[in-house]
Amino acid sequence: MRGKSAAALAALLPLLAAGWAAAGAERALAVRMAETTTAYLTLVTPAAPGSADYDLIRLLVQARALARLPGWEGRLEVYRGTAPLVRATQGSLSARTMAALRRRGGVLWWNGAALAPLKDKNGGEVVGAVAVTMRPTGEAWRRGAFGGLALPAVLAAIVLALRAAGPAAPRPTIRAHAALALLVGLAAYANARGAARDATDRWLDQTRLLVQEATARLPTTDLAHLAATIRPVAQAGGDGADLRTGGDSAAIRVRRVRVGDERQAVVAIRVGWGRWLALRTRPAETTTGGWLWLCLALAGLSPAVAALLRWALRARAYPRRLRETLTAWGFLAPATGHLGLFTFAPLLFVGYLSMHRWSPSEPAQPFVGLENFGRVLRDPLVWISLRNTVLFTLQVPITMAIALGLALLLRRHALVVRIARTAFFLPYVSSVVAVALVWQWMYHADVGLINRALAVLGLGPVDWLGNPRTALLALMVVSVWTQVGYQMVVFLAGLQGIPDAYLEAARVDGANAWRRFWRVTFPLLQPVTLFVLVTGIIGSFQVFTTVYVLTGGGPLHATDVLGYRIYHSAWELLQFGDASALALLVFAILFWVTWAQFKLLGKRVAYA
Amino acid sequence: MASVTLRQLTKTFDSSGLPALRDLSLVVRDGEFLVLLGPSGCGKTTVLRCIAGLEDPTSGEILIGDRDVTQAAPADRDVAMVFQTYALYPHLTVRENIAFALEMRGVPRAEIQRRVGEAADRLGIGGLLERHPAELSGGERQRAALGRAIVREPRVFLFDEPLSNLDAKLRMQLRAELLGLHRQLRATMIYVTHDQVEAMTMGQRIAVLHEGRLRQLGTPGDVYERPADEFVARFIGSPGMNILIGVADSGRGKRGGGAVVRCGSLTLPLALAYEGEIHLGVRPEHVTVCGLGQGEGDAEVRVVEPLGSETLVHVDAGGQPLVARVPGLFEVPNGQRLGLRVDVKRLHFFDASGTRVA
Repeated sequence: MRGKSAAALAALLPLLAAGWAAAGAERALAVRMAETTTAYLTLVTPAAPGSADYDLIRLLVQARALARLPGWEGRLEVYRGTAPLVRATQGSLSARTMAALRRRGGVLWWNGAALAPLKDKNGGEVVGAVAVTMRPTGEAWRRGAFGGLALPAVLAAIVLALRAAGPAAPRPTIRAHAALALLVGLAAYANARGAARDATDRWLDQTRLLVQEATARLPTTDLAHLAATIRPVAQAGGDGADLRTGGDSAAIRVRRVRVGDERQAVVAIRVGWGRWLALRTRPAETTTGGWLWLCLALAGLSPAVAALLRWALRARAYPRRLRETLTAWGFLAPATGHLGLFTFAPLLFVGYLSMHRWSPSEPAQPFVGLENFGRVLRDPLVWISLRNTVLFTLQVPITMAIALGLALLLRRHALVVRIARTAFFLPYVSSVVAVALVWQWMYHADVGLINRALAVLGLGPVDWLGNPRTALLALMVVSVWTQVGYQMVVFLAGLQGIPDAYLEAARVDGANAWRRFWRVTFPLLQPVTLFVLVTGIIGSFQVFTTVYVLTGGGPLHATDVLGYRIYHSAWELLQFGDASALALLVFAILFWVTWAQFKLLGKRVAYA
Repeated sequence: MASVTLRQLTKTFDSSGLPALRDLSLVVRDGEFLVLLGPSGCGKTTVLRCIAGLEDPTSGEILIGDRDVTQAAPADRDVAMVFQTYALYPHLTVRENIAFALEMRGVPRAEIQRRVGEAADRLGIGGLLERHPAELSGGERQRAALGRAIVREPRVFLFDEPLSNLDAKLRMQLRAELLGLHRQLRATMIYVTHDQVEAMTMGQRIAVLHEGRLRQLGTPGDVYERPADEFVARFIGSPGMNILIGVADSGRGKRGGGAVVRCGSLTLPLALAYEGEIHLGVRPEHVTVCGLGQGEGDAEVRVVEPLGSETLVHVDAGGQPLVARVPGLFEVPNGQRLGLRVDVKRLHFFDASGTRVA
């Protein structure tokens, strides 16, 4: 029972995280507002004559005006020294708080309010403080945790967790539980993201009021000068906030726009007839990627606890099984570790890279969602390289036909045959770079062996690797030459696996050699053929070394294949995000092609 | 239908250099069911494969009917072969398997349909035609393989241990079916087996092979009752014939007696004039036990094998092992001494080289 409640409680964890994120966003908003408001007061309140300190009366007026401003959302208190100005009857700041504020030099969290130090006109000494209270943290927390879909999803997840944690839980329940846990995680993240977005919107909205108030209180000047004067108020809010001239009534509501590679939240501020300023900041929700992973990780806990519980209950019923399971995992651990470290971890990292702008030369590696994929798909060079790769892959059936023919010829065990087999296999075990260099010489336009031979026949020299029409073909020939030995060996093994009795039966049945091959050998060889085809296509899609050595993707992108394009994006353009996105797309293509091959051909494969 | 004639067939494999067949001459009569019997490695499968054309004989001739087919391709010999492993094409259905040979011979589609249907009905596999071999039981596969052979209506059927992969009960049933098939088709059938029970029950004649040589050719009765040599005598029968090594004594100058053979503790009368070492054969069923001193000699019990309907008593008769087949259950402790009575009219005599004397 304790285990079941643990599984049920674990379902709540993503909500805790979301509540925490929402409360954090609200506090961050309060901090920003305190800083912005402080900057505003600094701007609009004149100094007392002969001093850097503010004129007390004017400060009092400004503070009270602001606190009563229509549309002003937060609760404001301004302290001159330690004395409150807006609600003079309220308690004053303690000397200790004031000292802490001075020491800190930044915003302090105090009594549920963000307390920003108010420095004098010169920005030197702290002469007071500005306290801004936004929504109570508890309320923000509740909204974040239970808003939207989160509450119904979590209730359903708890019900299912209680059932899925039983020892004999049916599989559909387990699956439904996992699905709902995922939903809870996503809903929690949606709330966290929503809270961040809301905080940005509200900061823009409130700061717009401040800018408009500041405009009213400052002498009328030209717009650029006005923007420059008020800019410190906006910039005090941090997070890339800025105030510029421009904008129009279309942006009267907060909008998200893309500036270059960056997303920005922007709102237009009307400061007079036809006079507009644009206030922009980095949207807080773009930096919530971490919360997504946290929410999902926490969401996984409930199914994990349930699975652990099921396993533990079963293990208790069959102690031997526990021992065997542990032993099995002991044996599996090295392979699992290797697979995890060298296969799954890089795969996950590629997934991570594909959704970030990531370059070793740039410190900022922002999350960009599916942007990399979009850019890759819009890139005409990617499409050219895809076309080249598909064309290049046509060498696979050609290689296979030659390899199968060789395997049939070299089936016997005579010495000559064995030497021939070794000769055909040698290119496959040779260094690809060395092989490519040899071919480079053979293909050479002036001194190459092939052109010399053609010259003997009276045919003109062909710049095999330099001509866009022949370069890809030349590479395909190299690939056929290197792969044919390997495929031949696989086919030989396949041929050896076919019992003689089938062919003898066919001989007695009156089938000639041609028909014996097509009606008996070839169908029985189909599993091997499928294997060679699938691995051949996969290998063909990954071709890189020969291209790199022989042509470098040229001429005129004639040999620009996907493998080379990935390399080029990553190591020459240093766009690892794009390269990773492209790598994942290639993976998706290959996955689909392989799946289709198994579906189409696998059904007819007779596993003898 | 046709006879099959083998003339001085010799086959030597390159790999071993040893002759698998030596000077084998044999005539299989038209419509006969002939069994090639012998222990593994005796060359019986090689004979079959030579007849099928899957092996080329090193020398000698093979005639099917009057035609010399020694150099003919398997397809041109008009023989059908059923393999030990059945060799049903795994990627084809039973129907396609049976139809394969007809297709290869360009038989019209409609006729293929008809003949496949007939063959399947004859073998009772009409309902299995659309299945693949992997979906069939052992017996069904065997029938499908038979179907593939009979659909061609060949002149000669060759069977290479076709029942050896089946369990005992199914083997018995299929044995009967095969014989039924032979009666219906009246075809020439050559059947290879190492199982002498199969040979005895199925063969009209049995050819016993050993080390590439034909040891005896005869009806099951001949082979059992008058084995041509010691090998055949030992090989046929379960257990095989007892062979005792003895010395013939013509009995001249002795009182009260004709010629005798002394072997171990037994003394048996000899009905022919012979001197020196002689091998004496007697089947276990012609040996019974009796009281000490009451039979042809005494022996000590070594092993007793009760089989229910009979009991095999292994004894040691003065250093010569011997098996007696005793009806019913017979209980006797090991080491017990008892008398042996031998049916002296059923004795076989071989000379020292193993050739039959009488």
